[in-house]
Amino acid sequence: MATESDSKTSDGPLNRWASRSIRNPERTYRAMFYVAAIFFIVTTMFPFYWLIVLALTPNNEILNGIGLVPEGFNVYAFVEVFQQVPFHFYMLNSFILATVTTVIVLFIASFAGYVFGRLEFPGRGVLMLLILAISYFPPAAFVVPLFDIFTGNSPIVVPFTEIALFTPPRLINTPAAMVLPFSALFLPLSIFVLTTFYGQIPDGLEDAARVEGTTRIGALFRVIIPLSAPGVATAGVLTFISVYNEYFFSQIMALGNDYTQWSPLVGGILSYQTQYTTSFNLFAAASIIGVLPVAILVIVAQERIVSGLTAGALKE
Amino acid sequence: MARVKLEHVTKRYEDVTAVDDMNLDIRDGEFVCLVGPSGCGKSTTMETIAGLTLPTEGEVWIGDREVTRLPPKDRGVAMVFQNIALFPHMNVKDNISFGLRLRKYDSEEIDRRVERASDIVQLEGMLERMPDEMSGGQRQRVAIARAIVRNPDVFLMDEPLANLDAKLRVHMRTELQRLHKELETTIIYVTHDQAEAMTMSDRIAVIDSGELQQIDPPLVCYNEPANLFVAGFIGSPSMNFTTGDVTESGFTSDSFDIEFDPARMGVSPGDHVTLGVRPEDVYPVDQRESVGHPSMRIDARTDVTEPMGDEIFVYLVTQEDIEMDFEAAEAGQLLMSVSPDSDVDVDQDIQVVLDRAKIHLFDSETGDAIQHGLVNPTSRDSTTEEAEAGSDD
Repeated sequence: MATESDSKTSDGPLNRWASRSIRNPERTYRAMFYVAAIFFIVTTMFPFYWLIVLALTPNNEILNGIGLVPEGFNVYAFVEVFQQVPFHFYMLNSFILATVTTVIVLFIASFAGYVFGRLEFPGRGVLMLLILAISYFPPAAFVVPLFDIFTGNSPIVVPFTEIALFTPPRLINTPAAMVLPFSALFLPLSIFVLTTFYGQIPDGLEDAARVEGTTRIGALFRVIIPLSAPGVATAGVLTFISVYNEYFFSQIMALGNDYTQWSPLVGGILSYQTQYTTSFNLFAAASIIGVLPVAILVIVAQERIVSGLTAGALKE
Repeated sequence: MARVKLEHVTKRYEDVTAVDDMNLDIRDGEFVCLVGPSGCGKSTTMETIAGLTLPTEGEVWIGDREVTRLPPKDRGVAMVFQNIALFPHMNVKDNISFGLRLRKYDSEEIDRRVERASDIVQLEGMLERMPDEMSGGQRQRVAIARAIVRNPDVFLMDEPLANLDAKLRVHMRTELQRLHKELETTIIYVTHDQAEAMTMSDRIAVIDSGELQQIDPPLVCYNEPANLFVAGFIGSPSMNFTTGDVTESGFTSDSFDIEFDPARMGVSPGDHVTLGVRPEDVYPVDQRESVGHPSMRIDARTDVTEPMGDEIFVYLVTQEDIEMDFEAAEAGQLLMSVSPDSDVDVDQDIQVVLDRAKIHLFDSETGDAIQHGLVNPTSRDSTTEEAEAGSDD
């Protein structure tokens, strides 16, 4: 072997590398794996690193331009974040909005997922498509009518007439104005995920639960949902993160960037910008603090999802 | 414990009728098997009893309650499923006590009942295990324990042994019979395996194409099948059938003739009939002394033999010059079961006789049985002598 490769040294390094790869493709695969992995890690982690650089650099230095390493080590920014505005309340707002939305979405999507995944009825496919179509609507399409309703200034009328039906309550600046549209917008995805999972639970298990003494709904909560834990976790985490990071609706439905008006995380971050100053370092520090709970949630949930999938819970 | 009654139960899906006007009356404490080929509607019938499927028409009674529209949980039934259907996220104890916990029994009562049920099915020391840590037989026993722990009025078993290996299946069969003796609960058992049905049940309900063909004790189904379907389905290997015509002197076909007096057997000359005889009622001619009512000799040639150990199946070709395509082979073929010490070789010319007392006549058009046993019901012996005298020379 050694003599053979020695004899081919005249072919040049590329040829040598090629012939070695042909004899031992594992090497190449491993090399490619590292290249790809490093590429993805760098591209996903670099924004974080950039945030840290920004947060640690004092604000006046930032305006002079920054490089790849922080110009100074201003850890105090992470404290200042809470001193300038009550950032923890903004986080709490986001957390409450995300939790409430996730609970509502999972609850409704479970019933819908049961219906679409386990029952046969005419028009099932069409109805499912309709629901999925909602998720293709740009959310901006709903903003103006929803804002109009949630301000509660004028009564809702029958279309094309002047006949007033009722005046909706004023929901603007309350969590309802955000939770309602969030739930509606994120439902289709969860329904889709849960339909797939619930549809895979063997009929025999549901039948067994019903003969043993549950109703259909009881069987859903006692057997189907526990067995679909990975799917429920997936749908829940996706919804939670989306709402936690939501900007567009919350920025409009909370009239000011004030935590008492249920302005969420993003609103809190924006409030470091005043009429005359923009504290980029506080933006960055607040962003890092805001992202931590979600990062922890993802790591925990990911373990659960993986363990749920590998436990082979559905094997009969 | 309860009586189960189905009255004119029909289940129609969009394009098929799964169950067609089913009438069943199952007595309290009886062990009844619903048996039939796959897709015959036996499982649907069971599901209508359990309440998992609502019938399109008809009524279901359990005990003295009409339960047609009641949900499964209020019917007092317990069910064992073909795919066992243990809840994979619960351990054995939680699986067994699932129904009790739903009904809010107190924990002492639950422990006591779980203990007793697991004793009956011999699951001691396994209560903490998860279903996926158990073998198929153990899981099936958990499923049975889950069913008996609630003291249901009726047990429904949907092919509970189908997924077990052959040895375990035979073992569980006897276990189930023992269980039935012990609990004395009504058991309705669905199977496609006629041997299972024959060995376990008090009565067999044979179902085909959603229609009840016959419901009788196993031996009655075996000895006096109501129609061609039951005759062919019950018994393994299957009954021999030969289609032919009734003449003045008896039955004639391309394969063989049997002499009898048509008027006494409920047929008249010119009728198209199918003659059925089980393999064990065909004898080589040298054993005809032991046959109560031997028929005329039938010339045949041995084709293939299948030694089973306790008996030998001999495939006989009764038709001369038959084409060896499958249809024709089927028509001219007669299966004979002989004792293992018989001296039978392949491709031999042989003469056989049928036991006239065990010959069945069926109407070829409707399939209904006309006559079981071609022996004059009133004066058995005299007709046999006559027939024999005629046939021998």
